[in-house]
Amino acid sequence: MVPMENYLALSGIIFSLGVYGVLARRNAVLVLMGIELMLNAVSLNFVTFAAYLDPDRVLGAIFAVFVITVAAAEVGLALAIVIRLYRVRQTANVDEANILKW
Amino acid sequence: MTFDEGQGYVVLATLLTPLVAMTLLVFVPGYQKTLVRWISLVAGAVMLGLSTYIFVAYQVESGGDFSPIQMQLRWDWVENTAFLGDNGIQLHLGVDGISATMALLTGVVAFAGTLASIKLDYRTKDFFILFWALVGGCFGTFFALDLFFFFFFYELAVVPLYLLIGIWGSTRKEYGAMKLTLMLVGGSVLIWIGIFAVFHEAGLGTFNLVALWEAGQNGALSPTFQKTFFPFFVIGCGVLAALWPFHTWSPDGHMSAPTAVSMVHAGVLMKLGAFGIIRLGIQLLPEGAEFWMPGLMVLGTIGAVYGSIAALTQRDFKLISGYSSVSHMGYVLMGLATMSAIGITGAVLQMFSHGVMTALVFLMIGAIYDQAHTRDLRDFGGITKVMPMWVVFYTIAGLANVGLPGLSGFTAEFHIFVGTFQTYPLFGGLAILAAAIAAAYMLRLFSMVFFGPTNPRWSSLHDLTPMERMSGALLLGAIVIMGVWWAPFVDRIGDTVELLPRVAS
Amino acid sequence: MGAEQAWLLAAVPAGMFFVLALFGRYMPRGGDYLGVLAIGTSFVLFFFVLGDYLDFHNLGAGRTAITESIHWSEVGSFNLDFGTYVDPITVVMFGVVTTVALMVNIFSIGYMKGEPRYYWFFALLQLFAASMLMLVMADNLLLLLISWELVGVCSFLLIGFYWEKRSATEAAKKAFVTTRVGDVGLMIGIILLWREAGTFNIQEIIALAQNGGFGETYLFVALSFIFLGAMGKSAQVPFHVWLPDAMEGPTPVSALIHAATMVVAGVYLVARLLPAYEVADNTLLIITVVGLTTALLSGFIAIVQTDIKKVLAYSTVGQLGFMFVALGSGNVTAAMFHLMTHAFFKALLFLGSGSVIHATHHHQEMEDMGGLWRKMPITGTTFFIGSVALAGLPPLAGFWSKDEIFHAADEKWGIWAFLLLAFAAVITAFYTTRLFIRTFMGKPNNQEVYDHTHESNGFMTLPLIILAVLAIGSGFVIFRDVGEALGFPGGLSEFVFLHEPHEYEIDWGLAGTSLVIALLGVFLGAWYYWGGRLTRATRAAQFQPAIYDMLKNKFYFDDLYQWGINNVVLGFSFVTAWFDRYVVNDTGVDGSAQITGYTGSVLKYIQTGRVPNYAMAIAVGVVLLAVAGLAVRG
Repeated sequence: MVPMENYLALSGIIFSLGVYGVLARRNAVLVLMGIELMLNAVSLNFVTFAAYLDPDRVLGAIFAVFVITVAAAEVGLALAIVIRLYRVRQTANVDEANILKW
Repeated sequence: MTFDEGQGYVVLATLLTPLVAMTLLVFVPGYQKTLVRWISLVAGAVMLGLSTYIFVAYQVESGGDFSPIQMQLRWDWVENTAFLGDNGIQLHLGVDGISATMALLTGVVAFAGTLASIKLDYRTKDFFILFWALVGGCFGTFFALDLFFFFFFYELAVVPLYLLIGIWGSTRKEYGAMKLTLMLVGGSVLIWIGIFAVFHEAGLGTFNLVALWEAGQNGALSPTFQKTFFPFFVIGCGVLAALWPFHTWSPDGHMSAPTAVSMVHAGVLMKLGAFGIIRLGIQLLPEGAEFWMPGLMVLGTIGAVYGSIAALTQRDFKLISGYSSVSHMGYVLMGLATMSAIGITGAVLQMFSHGVMTALVFLMIGAIYDQAHTRDLRDFGGITKVMPMWVVFYTIAGLANVGLPGLSGFTAEFHIFVGTFQTYPLFGGLAILAAAIAAAYMLRLFSMVFFGPTNPRWSSLHDLTPMERMSGALLLGAIVIMGVWWAPFVDRIGDTVELLPRVAS
Repeated sequence: MGAEQAWLLAAVPAGMFFVLALFGRYMPRGGDYLGVLAIGTSFVLFFFVLGDYLDFHNLGAGRTAITESIHWSEVGSFNLDFGTYVDPITVVMFGVVTTVALMVNIFSIGYMKGEPRYYWFFALLQLFAASMLMLVMADNLLLLLISWELVGVCSFLLIGFYWEKRSATEAAKKAFVTTRVGDVGLMIGIILLWREAGTFNIQEIIALAQNGGFGETYLFVALSFIFLGAMGKSAQVPFHVWLPDAMEGPTPVSALIHAATMVVAGVYLVARLLPAYEVADNTLLIITVVGLTTALLSGFIAIVQTDIKKVLAYSTVGQLGFMFVALGSGNVTAAMFHLMTHAFFKALLFLGSGSVIHATHHHQEMEDMGGLWRKMPITGTTFFIGSVALAGLPPLAGFWSKDEIFHAADEKWGIWAFLLLAFAAVITAFYTTRLFIRTFMGKPNNQEVYDHTHESNGFMTLPLIILAVLAIGSGFVIFRDVGEALGFPGGLSEFVFLHEPHEYEIDWGLAGTSLVIALLGVFLGAWYYWGGRLTRATRAAQFQPAIYDMLKNKFYFDDLYQWGINNVVLGFSFVTAWFDRYVVNDTGVDGSAQITGYTGSVLKYIQTGRVPNYAMAIAVGVVLLAVAGLAVRG
């Protein structure tokens, strides 16, 4: 079998890429893509643990299903907000959505 | 239901009257000012009657069987849940000699204040709703024998002040209201910390004051604990009692507040602070009290002398009165700090005396400010010609302030001086000196405002209105009665004070 | 009705005060006759008390005082009983106060006619009489203090009676505040005595002092403080400054309060406590020195005064000094005797001057007078009698009482005290003569005033005549035969005494010396002022201008006090007020509020509003929490 650490490393890498996307991208849609990456990495992590450490009940896989559901709902909502933001500020650049400040 | 329980309902009724009036007024439309005024007058009269009854019906010691706390009422509120044990929080009301006197004070001053504000025209309903909340808070604090409700009513008395001063006040009202409220609430934070500390340390799971007093006297609260937490109570309550140097909210607050608010504020509210020091400080943490009282004596004396001297060069009526209040509350604190029966009795006498005295002074100031729209002493002169009755009332109030025998000020001050001299002769001497300075600033006011050639600018001033006259007469009566026949007061207060822990006879 | 009901003497005027204060303005004539009635009742009651007391008084059986008392209040060990104490001193004071008060009330009907607030004047006279009577019969120091303050307030209200005048108001304020400063001492002294004795009762305190119950220094300090109060009320140096200014009040007030009764309260107090003062006998020296200083100082100032009331005011201050010298010499009889005679002839002089002022339509300066005897015979004659009494010429009352004081001072302190007193007496006679000559004799200085002057009406002249009779005759009560004829045992010195009753014997040497002293003063006065020409006097004044200026400026006491008030007291006040406003408030309170606000305004920049910043914050936070969690677990 492929060692578990490989999958965990992969999941870690994907998660880091996702974090990078969230923190460093300017376009709101790209930030959302980063969030998606993070969520999927987390799912992969859960499934890996389920497959290797809990093959009978695969609890992790159940968790992954929850994550996918929540991710779907959240993306729908997030994109709606991004569209609203674009209509109001004529830009999808997160740096420019900064009027709720001191 | 025993007689004592029956009287407990009288106490409850006294507490509920302002709260019921407040609720009733919420439903009265704002434009129906006459109805608002009538409800308030009736409520005020009822309160005066009930509080007088409480004072008169309080049993003084005559033979062995005397219990200081009378007219009790206990209703369970919350218990046996979370951190509360048996009798966790109860609505426990009752009076002892000190609170009976304070209740009388509240009744008198509240009714006098109502009479004084009757002609208020701007948002009358809102004013009276807040006013009754204030008065209800005062009564509640005096009657509460449960720490939770003590604090509850304490806050209820403080918070409406912000709106009352901020909306209906005068000179720099926003600043005065904000400073007053923040300082008082700051003090409340200290009290709250203290309350929780005591609750935790006693380990009984109850907020009941009587139980906690017994616990304290049985040693549940260690001396170290008491010495640590006594300052919390003293400073926290002291802020409200104009303890030096936390007194600065007082001159500005009084300057900004409308007449009736000043009356109740200086008259009753400041006494709440001193009362808190007795209830929470001396009764709950007697060893801590013994330890810290010399410090309190120093601060009290500073306040007494400082307030007197600062008043000497003030030009605003209300500032003179405000600093005078700081000085008189200094006397109260000195009396408390003696930890002797005479001194503490004197302090409570002074609480009552100063309450009615200062209410009368602020009533008079309000009467002239409403017409003249200036409070600068230099603008006046020879007012006796146009407002003779006003001058008579103010003169008597002023002479009471100075401690003239025959008026309540002397009775109170003399007990305090005697008590202070027993243990701290130097401070006693300074206090008497402050009283001499009081004569100077008061007579200066008299000579600049009442006497001398009449300033023609004021020839159209009219004398006191009938309502103001009634209000003034009520307060004047209290001043004179306590000045001449002080046995009823001293009996009630003295009997209770003698039973306080660690108080020398 | 007996001496147990002595409190009635005060109760009747007190009740009348309330009646007049509340209803006086609606009564016809402002209720003035009711005032006279009330005081008259007290006067009559005095005789009942006197009679009852004389029946009771039996030195042999040890009966010296009649007392009554009721319980007032108590707190712990602090018991207050109030009551009356009637002994010979009280009886003498009763007589003096009721007599003079009655005379003044009658006089005021004539003098105050047409004045505004007429009814209020009479009301205040009642309140004053009640308070003063209560003061002299109080059996404990607290009740005495209460009455003491009450007479002070009456004085304040009466000096400032003409409040439309700024000067009157200022004078009233000055009187009250000055005596208040003295009262600080009085209060401290009383409480100190209570602290050791556990009671305010005067007799108990005296007994304790005589039994050595007080520490020596402690008693000295306490009694000195009490003496401070007496100095304030009785206008002794350096508290004397309020009395001359008090002349702003209506003249009947000056006669009653500032000559005969209130100002002697200090003398009465010390006389009452004299047995205790004798125990702490260092106090006696202080009292004597203060009395001598005052007698001399006031005499010098009186020489250059031109307002007739001011002369009499300074004279009063000086004569009070004489009384204190008597007390300091341990002689209660002399002091009380002089108190009594002085009350009569000084009241007479003041009322006489009131008559003059009224007749000349409120002129008070001597430069407007002269030759008034011809126009005002009754006033002039009675004033003459009063002047002779004040100067101390026999056989008028003043001679006998001053003689007693000389005797007492000489016996106790020796020749130097006697000489100083004699000097003061010469000055007294001098300025008295000056006053009389310039006012009543010679040619008129102001023809217009002279023409309009006429004798005063019966209400004013009757009291003058009665007081003149008393000024002539009251001195004789010192003699045994007179005393017995009047009903009390022996002469006055057997009735009022400190150590032992003794019969009065005339010391011819001393009496002769007193006569010479008085005549010397009169002669000098006549020498300088006879004939209405002021040339000799003016030349004397120009002899040493610096001295003259010093006298004219009353030894600069007022200037010194004003400087002290302005720079020290008010300075303190400004500093305190400034400190309170700018340090405690603006820096402390507002300052801490501003620090909070400032901190907030700096921290607010964390809220950049930019989502990436917040996201970064979340990420960093998570990492920190994870590390912390692992560290704790590890």
